[in-house]
Amino acid sequence: MKKNIFVVLLLILFSGTIIAQDLTMPELAGYKKSMNYPVFGPENLWDFINGAADNYLSYGFLNLHVAEYKKGKNVIKLEIYRHADDVMAFGIYSTERSPSFTYKNLGAQGYVADGAINFFKGNYYVKIRTYSKNEKNLQASESLALKVSNMLSGDPKMPVILSQFPESGKKINEETYINESVLGHKFLNKAFKAAYEIGSDNFSIFIINNNTPEETIRTVEAYLKSAGLEEVGAGSGKYMFTDGYNGTIFLAWKDTQIIIISGLSKDQSEVADTYTSEILE
Amino acid sequence: MKYFNRRGFIRTGLTSAAGIAALSPAMLSASALQQQDILYRTLGRTGMKVPVISFGVMRSDNPNLCKAAYEKGIRLFDTANGYQNGNNETMLGNLLNNYPRNSFFLATKVKPVGTDKDGKPTDQTTAEDFLTKFDASMSRLKLDYVDILYVHDIRNPEMLEYKPIMNAVKKLKKDGRIKFIGFSTHANEPLVINAAADLDTFDVILTSFNFKQAYKDELKSAVNKASKAGIGIVAMKTLAGGGFLDKEKTKPINSSAAIKWVLANPDITTTIPGMTDFDQLDLNVKLLTDITLTDAERNDLIVASAETGLYCTGCTKCLQSCPKNLPIPDLMRAYMYAYGYSNPGMAYFLLSELGTNDNPCMDCTTCYVDCTKKFNIREKISDISRLVNVPADFLA
Repeated sequence: MKKNIFVVLLLILFSGTIIAQDLTMPELAGYKKSMNYPVFGPENLWDFINGAADNYLSYGFLNLHVAEYKKGKNVIKLEIYRHADDVMAFGIYSTERSPSFTYKNLGAQGYVADGAINFFKGNYYVKIRTYSKNEKNLQASESLALKVSNMLSGDPKMPVILSQFPESGKKINEETYINESVLGHKFLNKAFKAAYEIGSDNFSIFIINNNTPEETIRTVEAYLKSAGLEEVGAGSGKYMFTDGYNGTIFLAWKDTQIIIISGLSKDQSEVADTYTSEILE
Repeated sequence: MKYFNRRGFIRTGLTSAAGIAALSPAMLSASALQQQDILYRTLGRTGMKVPVISFGVMRSDNPNLCKAAYEKGIRLFDTANGYQNGNNETMLGNLLNNYPRNSFFLATKVKPVGTDKDGKPTDQTTAEDFLTKFDASMSRLKLDYVDILYVHDIRNPEMLEYKPIMNAVKKLKKDGRIKFIGFSTHANEPLVINAAADLDTFDVILTSFNFKQAYKDELKSAVNKASKAGIGIVAMKTLAGGGFLDKEKTKPINSSAAIKWVLANPDITTTIPGMTDFDQLDLNVKLLTDITLTDAERNDLIVASAETGLYCTGCTKCLQSCPKNLPIPDLMRAYMYAYGYSNPGMAYFLLSELGTNDNPCMDCTTCYVDCTKKFNIREKISDISRLVNVPADFLA
């Protein structure tokens, strides 16, 4: 018994990850709030969102609070997903957004689509859904979204690195963050991606920020090695090569940053150069 | 201005001509010989002949990964209306339109909305919403029909006979917009599958099925009953969730062994492992032609099965035997938060939500709860429940 108490106290005293962020779900005028769901964690998120859970887990999912608001037959469901950090929250948000949605000034960014309102703020990803499409109910959903946005702590800004993507040809609201296996390669992780369209050309630019120049070189070497290339320059360099799975790749790096362009053909190195130079310099 | 240095261009040439075997040996495995050796099984009464390995596309955002899977012989691609909020279907639709329609199978899922927490339909569960979602899926997939439409996440037998949804999917089948009707289930699977086997609505069932499930014998029996009734069975969650035995990801599950274990059951037609990288794909492609479980793999599974860990599987069997009706799976989760994740703050707030006191087992002299994982339930509950006496400020 004493041992168990000691263990708990030790955990309390020495855990570096204690976060006492109890979320109090806001009230919504005219609606009855119910909290019939448990707080979901990584081990049981599957019970709530099934196969989609894996995607959330890959973005550092920590927990999920759920509340329902009822007024007659109208039901609004509020889901607040907490992720490891702001970038992870943007990551999961970005995998689920589409440029075709109606964007709103909510949190760092949000949108409305088919009775759903999704937004992210800080390390929270918020989803509000209603099955009733009557106007008052939809307005109540928006009102709830605003309340939640104001309630949540965290930075209401998009990741700073997104501003590094050149504007020319960039598709609006298609930037994403890929936490694992960029372009399907295990050695490429933690990349911001933007999609581009210039004339009939469609291509993607990936930016990877490493902690150190050494880490950059290791990642570059791993990629080049997979393509049969072995030698790497020093602090910076530019290569074009064929990735057996993804076709022509333009790879550039400088200090802690790696740029990858996929989707351009071999004879478009000048286009690639323009973009990589703008990002790296 | 000099762009990519000349050496890079030269090496590119070498890579293209001679280096492809070293570059991507798995690409070579898509040879005609391999295609001939692929193991196919028939998916129940659908008559669909599918390779034993299919592709759970849910997390993949890279069409080149799906393309490589197709080129290596994988033919059934599994997505859902809700995966990546529809972006997953869009990606897949853009890719599959490059291939002859009769060269692949596509399965998607639509979840009926408004079900209660027990999975029962409510008056919010409408065909209208279901069909709107299905139409959105078809638009994203750019297909005239899908091979299998799963009613997503059925966990209560009542849902199997809920007329608004079932009539809607039957009409979709009659209209040729879907070839076959299925449902997916991840909770109460034996109960739901047994009930479905007695109906004539469903052609396919997608069920979680793995070597770690506490109720696997019950599930095997239900799957056998459904299979005998002509229902095709597709297995998911074959890696017991995540591919690791621990949260810290230090104990990987032998994924090939786990999938082979599933496919050793003749009632299972195919599996849909999720894949996000080419290494995983290459590993799974090997299983297309060989699913023989080796002694070493069998041993790996025995070791992994014995790994109790801190995870409660949430089988809920304990709930029937606790005379105080305690929310035991939730309390076990609180225990895991504190001891497994070293996060007593999270445990504290879960306990607060549950509203249990600091010694819920106090009135019982004997514990009658028989945990399928053989946890000492009383000891764990007594241990973790004392956390409610700790002032919240200490956890902040």
